[in-house]
Amino acid sequence: MELMKSENIVQDRQPQPQEEEEIMQQEEEEEQRFHVLAVDDSVIDRKLLEKLLKASSYQVTCVESGEKALEYLGLLHHSSPASSSSQHHHQETQGHKVNLIMTDFSMPGTSGYDLLKRIKGSSWKDVPVVVMSSENVPSRISMCLEGGAEEFMLKPLQLSDLHKIQAHLLKSLPHS
Amino acid sequence: MDVVNQLQRQFIDYSASLHREGFLDDQFTQLQKLQDDNSPDFVVEVASLFFEDCEKLINNMARALEQQQGVDFRQVDASVHQLKGSSSSIGAMRVKDVCVAFRSFCEAQNREGCLRCLQQVTHEYSLLKNKLQTLFRLQQQILAAGGSIPVVE
Repeated sequence: MELMKSENIVQDRQPQPQEEEEIMQQEEEEEQRFHVLAVDDSVIDRKLLEKLLKASSYQVTCVESGEKALEYLGLLHHSSPASSSSQHHHQETQGHKVNLIMTDFSMPGTSGYDLLKRIKGSSWKDVPVVVMSSENVPSRISMCLEGGAEEFMLKPLQLSDLHKIQAHLLKSLPHS
Repeated sequence: MDVVNQLQRQFIDYSASLHREGFLDDQFTQLQKLQDDNSPDFVVEVASLFFEDCEKLINNMARALEQQQGVDFRQVDASVHQLKGSSSSIGAMRVKDVCVAFRSFCEAQNREGCLRCLQQVTHEYSLLKNKLQTLFRLQQQILAAGGSIPVVE
């Protein structure tokens, strides 16, 4: 799909009607894919998670900390849950919907558990949150599940783990 | 085509030995399976990130253990925990196993034990780095000779 000819200066050029349609189609296709926000302080785990998710045709945004995740969700400066006006408005941030949040448990600063609680106490509470950890600690698992996590997964994640995630995403689709 | 076959056999044998000797576990195979046309250098990229991370963490541990005024074992443990996670994610089994022992010594606040583990982890990391570089070199040779990388289960 050739959207721009190389000899044209992108910013000065008006898209032709046919190209405009192609651009819109591409954006629409991106909108239809599930968007996952992945939170992990390990650069290796971020790269791995991004690859796993992209290999399963998800759109991915990776952030390196709980704070960055809160910032992305627009929750960083709010101490109380925003009043809900419309569900669609709160499922979007920076023009992007978020269908699933996957977070590591052990992170410096805002931990995965802290992040989970903040999300569940906000207008994002209906977005499923999956907590990941390299350690299999039963009390940690129940704490996260009780805190509202949809699922707790042991690292390192594999492609087969992504199937479980698909089920959660399908469950969370808005009823229209 | 004989050259390609020979190189491919070498690759398979070398790969198998790395698994047999415990340098790599199944997680590494998972990474290789994730590599595709969209990301043909995925495994090499992850390995490079791992080596960088390793060096940084080993330096952190060494510095923390050198403190004459008293070692902050929590700081050492934090680095070991990170290294354990990374090595687990890439399938670096021997490095990961040393980290497990290392964490026990941190918990016991045993400086001598920690120093021994630091030495061991440094050793395992260099061994693995050399072996993976050899593996990647074999891969490059196969590709340069027009062959494809065999999938090793």
